[in-house]
Amino acid sequence: MPKRRFLGCSFPVLLGVLLVILVLFLVSLLSGALGSSLFGDLGLPSWLSVPQPHPELPAGVVFHLLGFPITNSTIAAWLSIIVLVGISYAVTRRLKLIPNRVQSMLEAALGWLLNFCQEVAGEENGRRFFPVVTTIFLFVITNAWLSLIPGFGSILITNAEGETVELFRGANTDINLPLALALISFIFVEYWGIKSVGLFRYIRKFINMGRFFGAIGQIFSGKIKAGFAGLFNGAVDIFVGALEALSELVRIVSFTFRLFGNMTGGEILLLMMLFLVPFVLAIPFYGLELLVGFVQALIFGGLTLVFATIAVAPHAVEAD
Amino acid sequence: MSRWVAALRLIGVGFFVGGSILLGVVAGLWLDNKLNSAPIWVIVGLFLGLVIAFYGVYRMLLPLMDNKRDKENS
Repeated sequence: MPKRRFLGCSFPVLLGVLLVILVLFLVSLLSGALGSSLFGDLGLPSWLSVPQPHPELPAGVVFHLLGFPITNSTIAAWLSIIVLVGISYAVTRRLKLIPNRVQSMLEAALGWLLNFCQEVAGEENGRRFFPVVTTIFLFVITNAWLSLIPGFGSILITNAEGETVELFRGANTDINLPLALALISFIFVEYWGIKSVGLFRYIRKFINMGRFFGAIGQIFSGKIKAGFAGLFNGAVDIFVGALEALSELVRIVSFTFRLFGNMTGGEILLLMMLFLVPFVLAIPFYGLELLVGFVQALIFGGLTLVFATIAVAPHAVEAD
Repeated sequence: MSRWVAALRLIGVGFFVGGSILLGVVAGLWLDNKLNSAPIWVIVGLFLGLVIAFYGVYRMLLPLMDNKRDKENS
């Protein structure tokens, strides 16, 4: 008769694992900030507790390159680039007709992204937007997931000014990187829009004075009543155009703060959980942060895709 | 319209509202500092930000509302 198995382990092994987790949980609860405020100081060794974190929003400067400050988030972004380029190089160097495990995983991911682009933007435009959208997606998700590797933020070095700073810091948690990505997305969306519908037709979306000047012409040619009605409509057109232009700029701000806020919030959440109950309580939040990293990358890429789709659509179609 | 577009549009709405109000207020504060005219431009910026927020949300949700109406009619 086969032994009964629970979660793939025999019963004594499972009991042992659960016991270890329980002990770890109790020890971490007692040694953390939460436990010491509930039960008072129990005289546990100090290495069990985690010091209170002091998150700082500006990234620390590690060194200067030609007078240009290189921050720890910049180095982390370089690391992401190295990882992405390294994986691509290693996989595409020997492409096989029957892919091995890594190649098929990458093919599945890229295939899914291409499918996503084509579903949103249509067959032809999807292929056109795919490189930029996918680059943004992969870069954001690599930044987010690299910063979750344990030990990523704990390498401390002393810079030239004598301050102690971390060598790496999640690149998405420095507001300059989301801003740069938002500007890239903005520039590409405008470029695609201009290229598809033509410069003057594209600008007419924002500066629409046709009806206004038409109405002035009507007033001078004697049609006073129609002219004034047209003048009002023309003023509405101009106002709506200005709103369109401003909402185009607001997208940059909302892109920036969405990514920056979510990533920084996640980082601080993890630090605080480690401070309150070390070792154990941060684990579920690690899972949450993995999901948040994926979702934010998808949103950044996907919204770029949606805005690009709107920008390349002819105006008449969009108004329907 | 695919479900993806609808979902992404809805996700974009929240931060768009925050972003437009923030942009208006920050621009207003900057102008007030420059021209020494507090609090006129902050109020103007806040109002403009709110208008952009409402207009932008309306524009983002318009296709979704049309979708619903089409389904109700048919």
